[in-house]
Amino acid sequence: MRRGTRVSAGTIRFQFDGREYCGQPGDTAASALLANGVCHFGRSVKYRRLRGLLTAGPEEPNALFTSGRYPAVIPNVAAPQLILRDGLDLRSQNRWPTLGLDVASLLQAGGGFFGAGFYYKTFIWPRWRSYEPLIRRLAGLGAAPGACELAPPRVEHLSCDVLIAGAGAAGLAAARSAVRAGARVVLCEREPRCGGELEFEVGSIEGQPALAWVAATLAELAARGARVLTDTALVGGTGGQLVLHGEPGGLPGANTLYRVRPRAFIIAMGSIERPIAFVDNDRPGVMLVGAAERYLARYGVRVGREAVLFANHDRMYAAAARLVAGGIRVNALIDTRGDLSGMAGATAAQRDALERAGTRCLTAHAVVAVEGGRRIRAVRVTQLAGNGAGVGAETRIDCDVLLHSGGWSPCVQAGLQEGGLREYAAALGAFLAAAQPPWRALAGAANGQLELAAALMDGHAAGSGAAQHAGHAVHEREAAPVGRGDETPRLEPFWRSPAAPRLEKRQFVDLQNDVTVADLRLALAEGFTDIEHVKRYTTLGIGTEQGATSAVLGAAILAEFKGEPPGAVGTFRARMPFAPVSLQSLAGLRVGCAWRIARRTPLDGWHAAHGGVLESSGSWMRPRYFRANGAEPFAAAVAEARRVRASGGIADGSTLGKIEVAGADAAAFLDSMYLTKASTIKVGRSKYMVNLREDGIVLDDGLVLRLAPERFLATTSSGHADHMLSHFEHYRDTDWSGRRVTLTDVTEAWAVIAVAGPRSRTTLENVLGAQWRGALANLGHMDFSAGQFQDHDLKVLRASFSGELAYELHCRPGIALALWEALIAGGLAPYGLDALDILRVEKGYLVSSELNGETTPHDLNMGALVALGNPCLGRDLLDRPGFHEPARPRLVGLRACDGRAKFLAGAQLTTPAAPTRPAGYVTSSVWSPALGEWIGLALVARQLGEDAPLMARDPLRSAADTPVRIVPPVHFDPGGARMKS
Amino acid sequence: MMRLVCPFCGPRELREFQFHKTLPAGPGSVFARTYERIDHPERSVEHWQHVEGCRAWLLVERNPSSGTVLRTVLLGGTP
Repeated sequence: MRRGTRVSAGTIRFQFDGREYCGQPGDTAASALLANGVCHFGRSVKYRRLRGLLTAGPEEPNALFTSGRYPAVIPNVAAPQLILRDGLDLRSQNRWPTLGLDVASLLQAGGGFFGAGFYYKTFIWPRWRSYEPLIRRLAGLGAAPGACELAPPRVEHLSCDVLIAGAGAAGLAAARSAVRAGARVVLCEREPRCGGELEFEVGSIEGQPALAWVAATLAELAARGARVLTDTALVGGTGGQLVLHGEPGGLPGANTLYRVRPRAFIIAMGSIERPIAFVDNDRPGVMLVGAAERYLARYGVRVGREAVLFANHDRMYAAAARLVAGGIRVNALIDTRGDLSGMAGATAAQRDALERAGTRCLTAHAVVAVEGGRRIRAVRVTQLAGNGAGVGAETRIDCDVLLHSGGWSPCVQAGLQEGGLREYAAALGAFLAAAQPPWRALAGAANGQLELAAALMDGHAAGSGAAQHAGHAVHEREAAPVGRGDETPRLEPFWRSPAAPRLEKRQFVDLQNDVTVADLRLALAEGFTDIEHVKRYTTLGIGTEQGATSAVLGAAILAEFKGEPPGAVGTFRARMPFAPVSLQSLAGLRVGCAWRIARRTPLDGWHAAHGGVLESSGSWMRPRYFRANGAEPFAAAVAEARRVRASGGIADGSTLGKIEVAGADAAAFLDSMYLTKASTIKVGRSKYMVNLREDGIVLDDGLVLRLAPERFLATTSSGHADHMLSHFEHYRDTDWSGRRVTLTDVTEAWAVIAVAGPRSRTTLENVLGAQWRGALANLGHMDFSAGQFQDHDLKVLRASFSGELAYELHCRPGIALALWEALIAGGLAPYGLDALDILRVEKGYLVSSELNGETTPHDLNMGALVALGNPCLGRDLLDRPGFHEPARPRLVGLRACDGRAKFLAGAQLTTPAAPTRPAGYVTSSVWSPALGEWIGLALVARQLGEDAPLMARDPLRSAADTPVRIVPPVHFDPGGARMKS
Repeated sequence: MMRLVCPFCGPRELREFQFHKTLPAGPGSVFARTYERIDHPERSVEHWQHVEGCRAWLLVERNPSSGTVLRTVLLGGTP
């Protein structure tokens, strides 16, 4: 049984690449596999080199696993973050057929083939397309899932005084000082445990061991009502709202997305250790110093038996002493700094421990190469001359793990948003975030304070400052916690070991994307000098680690090649999300009907129960046709339309938009909103009206009913009510004409049933009863009458969208079903949307296909209405010359020349003079039972008359062209006698 | 995410509002008022509607470069 801060006794079984392994509760996949002696965790993306673990955190570039079996797989899970659970089935990535034997790794032999930008220079002859299937198989990181069986995440909205990201020493100190000042604090920590580096850095704070101080502080935070969120990472946010993502266990399943609005925000996210570039620095067994410390302290795992440490700062001595105490033999310490001798960088206690363990110390030396292909066997080391070049012969030192560290890069991404500026700190060899807005601050290692005492003070000050910014008073006597841990590491920036030019292509800068020093040199030689261009050309930092281990290293090496300081080169822009977030978490609860609501009419249940085929039309579910009339849509629609003209039918029109416009200024307001006047409509009558946009284009059409002198009902196209309501409200509130107008959307307050056909009136008389007989007899075309049906309000409007004698019944939703069933019992059958379309095209009535946002009233043959001169919205721009040009479209009807051929909406219309330049297109087309042929409506150039020879061309859907001729748009009953009977 | 202060509802998240248009800087012809959108980086006067709230129409003056909202006024006022 291993012991550590995160593991407990017990056994968990899991599978990796088909073999079964055991781990302990609290283990991650990485720590358990390391404990089992596994050293191969995957292969790299491009060169398919075998890789081991580099780190112990989410910035891991190599060990990305796929969890689960296809189709419900989860790819690219970082092994150090994946907490073990029973039955986990994990697989390494980027290899085929197995991790040990990968066919594509044979491409390694052609190492120079795939340098930066290789896809611009290779795979060209004879046809680049023929390489595409192979490249597609090889490219990519992990395989996308085919199905998702995860529960939706929780979404929480929080507001607080102070949000602190990171619960290490600085974060905890900040949280404590903020709560003591009375602030409401939310503290988030991406690891399962708080404490950060205190987990392995042996220190003492306020007289107690560091971890005891952590526990006491967390208890105090809880007692004072602060919220501590573990397994929760900061992923981004703007405009004062920050987004946190909680993913306990490292796998999606119980995720929470937090949207937090703090008054002040502290970034205490620590720093990430940087690698150094040397030849073959990607071999299995090459890790970072901090990773070895974490695996030892957290999980009790020794990453190797014999280690060599290689770094450019003092901290490696403390680390070496701890590793020796933990049972790893440290063969040698390679310190790149030349101004020290022996272990001058170590404390006395550390020096004693290391000398007793027999550790060599070589200063002014660097590791230049690694021996061993599948696992490191030894390192080769040379002495460094003052200018960084190697001097003298190489020394060979045996080891089975090489731990290196080039320093630390503070996690400043969140501080570089919304105005923060990058600032190079030469002492750290890293970038800090400056120019913070008053509500945001960085603290601790994220602020460049790498030593415990300084980090605690920094955190404490930031916490007090944040509490004050949030309006709380801070006691002056409140002192920062005093701590003692590892000394401030004195660091001399060291980026890459010397190497012969031909070996630079094996010095890796970005392990995840196989970007090497040679690639950076090549990019510069090819003219990409800006770091942003270099990033995109070489693919530096574009993987899941987003430059966590590679950005600063790449920038510094580029700076060396350019002869500039790293501060002048900078790093590429830090972008959100700062940690990988699944799309499922971002979608949150907006899935299914919460994403796309399905609006249903009061008659929806009846339609579904009686063979109505419901389809979404905008946000509404409407019946396209009824199966009783035909098995498939075409036949059913034709049968329904035929029956309406022959005897009659009913249709559910409840989706019609309805807006009540009332008030002293209502009439004048509507006059200004419609092309023709509403004020001239008499009470009890309705009129067909058209709205214009402010640029003269037709916006919508509908009937306007006058219910009372100061009360109107304006109908809109189905699904348009929201838009038209906003439109009306806008013009009312910008004083278009009088403001004593109330606007109310009553779309859902009234169900609408259209009753159409020769038998409509007699059926209504039977269904509505004797009290309606007189009203129905006297109801002229476009009149309406209000009354009751079974004690509920009912309006009967005589209006027709089918060209038949027809009525629209407006009733309360509660009575709609009873009324509908009574009409069915009275002998009428329902018809659906497709039949409705046939009937209205036969009559040349307009829907959104013609009112498409590009047509003016002139185009739609409404010139006479325009000439009435009502000064309405859009009038001013309606008369511009461009709207009267000969090429301007005009609404016409269409028939096939031979009376039988088919043409579809969307077909382009051309003339023989210009066979490839359309003169117009077909907007609607139906097969008309009344006329026995295909008919349509189209928009064609104004100059074309009825004798123009037109061809309907539809190459995507039909092989042959159809000759068509222009006819008046009203195909059937042009005089309208049927509906006015 | 940005917040706007609705005169009736108080500070609300931006997603409750719907942007309509930016007004041109000064008076001009009908054509200019309808089509011209000269963007000034420091000052943008806009029409927004609180569609997921009280449906009030608002005139919002803000600095697009810094994201700060300078003032929010109810269009239409009380009748």
